[in-house]
Amino acid sequence: MESAILIAENVSASYRKNTVLHNVNFKVNQGTLTGIIGPNGAGKSTLIKTLLDLHPRLSGSVTFFQQPFKKAKKRIGYVPQRGSVDWDFPTNALDVVTMGLYGEIGWFKFPSRKHKEKAYEALKKVGMADYADRQISQLSGGQQQRIFLARALVQNADLYFMDEPLAGVDAQTERAIMFILQELKRNGKTVMVVHHDLQTVADYFDHVLLLNRTVIGHGKTEEIFTKENIGKTYGGNMRWLIGEEEKNVVPSYH
Amino acid sequence: MYRVLKWSAVWFLICFVLFLAACGERAEQTEKEDVIHVVTTIAQIGEPLSVIGGDRVQVESLMGPSVDPHLYNPTQSDMARVDEADIIFYNGLNLEANMTDMFQQLGASKPVLAVGEVIPEEALLKDEQGAIDPHIWFDIDLWKQALDQAVEELKTYAPEDKNFFEKNKSEYFERLDELKKEAEKLREIPESRRILVTAHDAFGYFGRMHQMEVIGLQGLSTEDEIGVSDINDTIAIIKEHQVPAIFVETSINQDSIKAVIEGAANEGADVKLGGELFSDAMGDPNTEEGTYIGMYRHNVNTIYDALQGGID
Amino acid sequence: MWSLLITSNTQWVFFSTMMLGIAAGVIGCLSYWKRQNLMSDALSHAALPGVVIAFLLIGEKNLLVLVIGAAVSAIIGAFSIQWITTWSRISEDAAMGMILAVFYGLGIMLLTIANRSFGGNQSGLDSFIYGQAASMVKSDVMTMLVLAFVVLLVVFLAYKEWKIFLFDPQFAKGIGLSIRGMSILYTSVLVIAIVIGIQAVGVILMAALLIIPAVSARYWTQSFRMMLMLSALFGGVSGLFGTLISATGKSLPTGPFIVVVAAAIFIISLILGKEQGVLLHYFQLRMQRKKANAIGTKERSIT
Repeated sequence: MESAILIAENVSASYRKNTVLHNVNFKVNQGTLTGIIGPNGAGKSTLIKTLLDLHPRLSGSVTFFQQPFKKAKKRIGYVPQRGSVDWDFPTNALDVVTMGLYGEIGWFKFPSRKHKEKAYEALKKVGMADYADRQISQLSGGQQQRIFLARALVQNADLYFMDEPLAGVDAQTERAIMFILQELKRNGKTVMVVHHDLQTVADYFDHVLLLNRTVIGHGKTEEIFTKENIGKTYGGNMRWLIGEEEKNVVPSYH
Repeated sequence: MYRVLKWSAVWFLICFVLFLAACGERAEQTEKEDVIHVVTTIAQIGEPLSVIGGDRVQVESLMGPSVDPHLYNPTQSDMARVDEADIIFYNGLNLEANMTDMFQQLGASKPVLAVGEVIPEEALLKDEQGAIDPHIWFDIDLWKQALDQAVEELKTYAPEDKNFFEKNKSEYFERLDELKKEAEKLREIPESRRILVTAHDAFGYFGRMHQMEVIGLQGLSTEDEIGVSDINDTIAIIKEHQVPAIFVETSINQDSIKAVIEGAANEGADVKLGGELFSDAMGDPNTEEGTYIGMYRHNVNTIYDALQGGID
Repeated sequence: MWSLLITSNTQWVFFSTMMLGIAAGVIGCLSYWKRQNLMSDALSHAALPGVVIAFLLIGEKNLLVLVIGAAVSAIIGAFSIQWITTWSRISEDAAMGMILAVFYGLGIMLLTIANRSFGGNQSGLDSFIYGQAASMVKSDVMTMLVLAFVVLLVVFLAYKEWKIFLFDPQFAKGIGLSIRGMSILYTSVLVIAIVIGIQAVGVILMAALLIIPAVSARYWTQSFRMMLMLSALFGGVSGLFGTLISATGKSLPTGPFIVVVAAAIFIISLILGKEQGVLLHYFQLRMQRKKANAIGTKERSIT
């Protein structure tokens, strides 16, 4: 039974003097794995941040599970961009994942062994169990991404937002992450992912949200992810590689 | 909008410059009056000169009560007053440490006299490093010499008033001699207790004149920060000699003396705060302590009462 | 000489500066990861005009009033920095530098006015700049002890909240931690430490204690908890040994010696530090070079 667990109506946001998002409307159903696609500067990160109250919303409304964000917070997980954090900070992988449980642990209390075990399980799931004690500054990009993912998983949310989780990661990590996302979907969770690589959209996501300051199109990948819509989203000329279908699409930036 | 701002800024700047120039003009337009404008640094020079000069002089001292001359930096208004002055007197011997350059420059255009530097070197006190102690006003004889020289300078400037100045000077010096006699009561204090402990080494000449041992928490200048060893050493001396009282100064932070008192009490030596002394600065100009003689007398009495009266 | 070292005054001074060093070390650690060490320096300087204005208003040296004046001034400084950074294109460190210079200049100007007024010099306003560490007495020990206790309590109780606040504030906000609340807590603790510190040891020494021990601790550990503890240790040791050394010599000023000890600890950490020390890097590199060359020759001899 499909139900809309995220409804955005007339959302807009600005950054400094510029309007970055306007008239954003969409509904997301439970159990979908959606790719948020758009060119640089389209407002993809800003969209997620605005939905999660990390960035001021200028207009419109957003409901999660028929509630405002504040009430639904505990059911939502967020994996931000890797570059948003100081990886020099003196802490290890297990510690970072445990941070996902801080909401559960409560104020002025210390993580118990149970919590640490949960965190360890999450590390195992992303294949980083051996690195539990490793300093995060010594991890590769892909490994850092994986512990960010583990941190979100440990929160056991129903709706996940991920900002470019596959950016700059190696092939093995990419496969591992996508495997986990597919598993989440199978378990009835909903995932929305800001994604940059047009080649893999059709393989990874069953839904797409085409975004360039406003929603160009949103719905099932096979219906919405068309040459025409992609062209509208990216503007300018598109270079189509001969031989394959719409899958092989590269935006041309002359 | 930016164009408006830019032009407003330019206008503002022009008006400001004109305003400054006008201020400067006004200063120069004061008429040459009949009195001699004397500017001094410390009031120990200024106040006696105002008495000796009478109504023939107008004396201004740059450093008022509780001002520390070692650290004093001249302000723009000080410069203006110095500019207007006919004669300038200062102590010298590096007391007004931040003003020596200024006075040397001024010496080219008007009479400037460092009254302390007329004293022959043998008569001056030096500390362990060889630095000269500038606090000469506490030796009444030396101060008479200094004031004498200053009066000679006045006489040179206004020869028609020579006799007037000379008469006043003699009267004043008589009062200084009386002051000396009064101070002799300090010798009544038994020698073992005739120890003067103050915040800095300002009383060297005082001690020499009245045969007291003098200990300062800080050295000759207040520029240095004290260390805990200074406090410890002072307390050791207090314990050794059973000093009944120590003194704060009006121009210096009292915290260190208070720390000495508290520390000594903790070590079993109950030393009291004997009172406040005038060291580098004198009192309020409208009071007795604002005069050189009044200030000196206050010091003598305070010290006498604390050390002599300390014998219960 | 030993008796000189353990006089009451020496004890009061080293206990006070030790407690202050511990408190400053811990706070300095938080500042370090907030990348706002310059802020500690800026706020220490920004407190000065508040002290003088409070004195000019009251007319006498009432320590509580002066400290409140310092706090108000420092907080206005902190807000000004925030405001400038948010509403203009000026970067944070430029804003801090500006506020530091402007407030301090204002403070000096007011100080010269105050020092000419009756009682100005006596009140010891100057000691807010250079400090009079040597004049600390028993009441100062109590004050510093309470300060250290409060700081340690705040950091210990909210330890994991501090960690996540410093490491990933956006994520923290997402799971419900009030970032604004943490920022206010941080600034409050910082300002309180600064105003209590500067009335005893002056602006310059306080800024030094807030920065140097934390930076030194970085070279020894990759654990946040360890860094906090080492920073506190280094701060405390600087106070202790700085005082003891200045007590042995004749007329050695106490404040500067504390800074010198802190600096010495830093240099030792820089060279010998277990984690990122220069010497360690050098030896590690040498060892690795040897290994690489050995493998190379082995392979060449095989082929």
